[in-house]
Amino acid sequence: MALTVTAPAIGAGERRAGAGFSLGPALVIPATLLVLAFLGAPMALLFRYSLNRYSPREFMIDAVTAENYIRFFTDPYFIGVLGTTVQVAAFCTVVATLAAFPVAYLLARSQSRWKSALVIAVVFPLMVGNVVRAAGWMALLGNDGAVNAVLRWTGIVSEPVRLMYTPFAVILGIVAVVLPYMILTLQSVIESIGRDVEEAAANLGAGPMVVFRRVLLPLSLPGIIAGGTLVFILCMNAYATPVLLGGPQFKMMAPALYDQFARTTNWPFGAALAFILMASTLILTLIGTTLLARRMHHRRIDAAAR
Amino acid sequence: MIGSRINRRALLAGAAAALAAPHVARAQSGGRVIVGTWGGDYQDLLKLNIADPLMAPKGIETLYDVGVAPPRKTKLLAERTSRRGSMDVACLSDIDMFEMSQLNLFEEPTEANVPNMKHVIKALAKPYALPHIYSGKVILYNPDKMTPAPRSYNDLWDPKWRGRIGFADGLYMQVIESAAMINGGSPTNFEPAKAKLMELKKLEPRVYPSNEALAAALKSEEVYATIMWLARGYMWKKGGLNLTHAVPEEGATPIIFDKAVPRNAPNKANGWAWMNAMLDPKAQLGFADRMGYVPTVTNAEIPAEIAREISFTPEQQEKFIQPNYEYIAQNNSQLLEWWTREFKG
Repeated sequence: MALTVTAPAIGAGERRAGAGFSLGPALVIPATLLVLAFLGAPMALLFRYSLNRYSPREFMIDAVTAENYIRFFTDPYFIGVLGTTVQVAAFCTVVATLAAFPVAYLLARSQSRWKSALVIAVVFPLMVGNVVRAAGWMALLGNDGAVNAVLRWTGIVSEPVRLMYTPFAVILGIVAVVLPYMILTLQSVIESIGRDVEEAAANLGAGPMVVFRRVLLPLSLPGIIAGGTLVFILCMNAYATPVLLGGPQFKMMAPALYDQFARTTNWPFGAALAFILMASTLILTLIGTTLLARRMHHRRIDAAAR
Repeated sequence: MIGSRINRRALLAGAAAALAAPHVARAQSGGRVIVGTWGGDYQDLLKLNIADPLMAPKGIETLYDVGVAPPRKTKLLAERTSRRGSMDVACLSDIDMFEMSQLNLFEEPTEANVPNMKHVIKALAKPYALPHIYSGKVILYNPDKMTPAPRSYNDLWDPKWRGRIGFADGLYMQVIESAAMINGGSPTNFEPAKAKLMELKKLEPRVYPSNEALAAALKSEEVYATIMWLARGYMWKKGGLNLTHAVPEEGATPIIFDKAVPRNAPNKANGWAWMNAMLDPKAQLGFADRMGYVPTVTNAEIPAEIAREISFTPEQQEKFIQPNYEYIAQNNSQLLEWWTREFKG
């Protein structure tokens, strides 16, 4: 994506320089070929599979049919799975944004010599795989886990509370996974907002809440859009966390499509699920960013009018 | 920054190792054999009883492609049209192996390739694979909590055990089969299981994502009973779980863990050598002793005290419910879907 964007710029530069032959555009060829070979081709193949028919005996029968897609949209169970996925993803994105903002602000405004250590502390969880982190949550949330041990020891409960294999565990796990992405994105945007802007607002009599609502929040909206998009996409496609912390009863799209491929060996339907997940992620992300961007635009116009 | 530097280093180290690996393998005189298998204890025992004592002296190096069964099946399917597959030996349960064999994925074993094949128990033999070990499906329960002791699968439906019956998600077909057997079903008709399991659902049974998670729940006494392989019960007992088994009145269902050589195995000769080694009496006894699986050959005699724990009496064998692989393969998708949506949902 980034390369296709930069290509015309390089090309334009060459034209301005008046050179006859330009190597610039050719530079995108290797990356384009790679993307075509390793992303485009498998996706095309997968899309072709999604139009096939499943047979327990012959595995996959060549066909051109939309029945896998029709089955999805006419089946309340799978609509429910998609619904759960969207709800969990949206909720986690909101929670991650709320939790990340104060940390990002603190990091952005920090003058401390510990700042880089703090940034590393935020990044550090990314170095541990999702599965390992889920295993950590399992040790904390299980019936014999640390949380239940504390609850029982303090006498708050006598029987262990079921925390594992619940939507709560999944949301907690996913938020923990995506939080660093949100913090880092917001931090870089907040850093670009001059401290003097906030001071000017305060000088003109705005209290901290007003400064936040009228100055900081609108100016950091691009960061919220970027971070929210990134996090929402990650949440929609979460696999390890829902499988390990949600247990067999909890179904989101990525585990459901894995089940179709690996457990039922129904590749055509699995492929259809993959494309539906991709399309719904794309559409929802576009809707979300458009709405937020429009809001940002309105605010700018309002501000200009004043 | 630090992260990217570490990653780059790790990447370089990994690439170097990947480049070096084929040379290491080539240095072995007998080449290598790639075994697609489960990990954990099973893999340890393959190494201890087959790879180290029987394959290594021939100069054959064993490499393991470790994972649970579903991805292995997916891999076999994905590679079915390629000339060179990634496994010389594939390990699957009898049910999965049949399902894969329908697509004609495996070479037929012959006595010329696998001399030890002549000792295989006739009832366990099949044309597309060889049986490695077997056990039977029984009720495992906590004897201190479950009184009176369960004798039939039906006893697990007692409202007294509300919330105390647990299942492993991977054994959905076995749970469905058990429910079918107590509700007028048969090996070729699991449909009656659905109504029976919906009855059980009202008693809030627990479904765990893995055998290990189920074991943890049995250990912490979150649940008291399950339906499971006798061999696994034996292992769990050895691991300190307070468990006893009951062979259900309806009859135990045998489970055979098979191995087969895919048609596109990169090194078939070594695949057959491995298949022959796994039928060696010594290798078979190793699995009985530590994992509680019964040998599949007639020339491996297990000590009486272990036999009592892991094998079935002739009367119990008489009552074995023989699975109908054809029916299961035809209905797997439909039953799994029902299990996921209706029973677990």
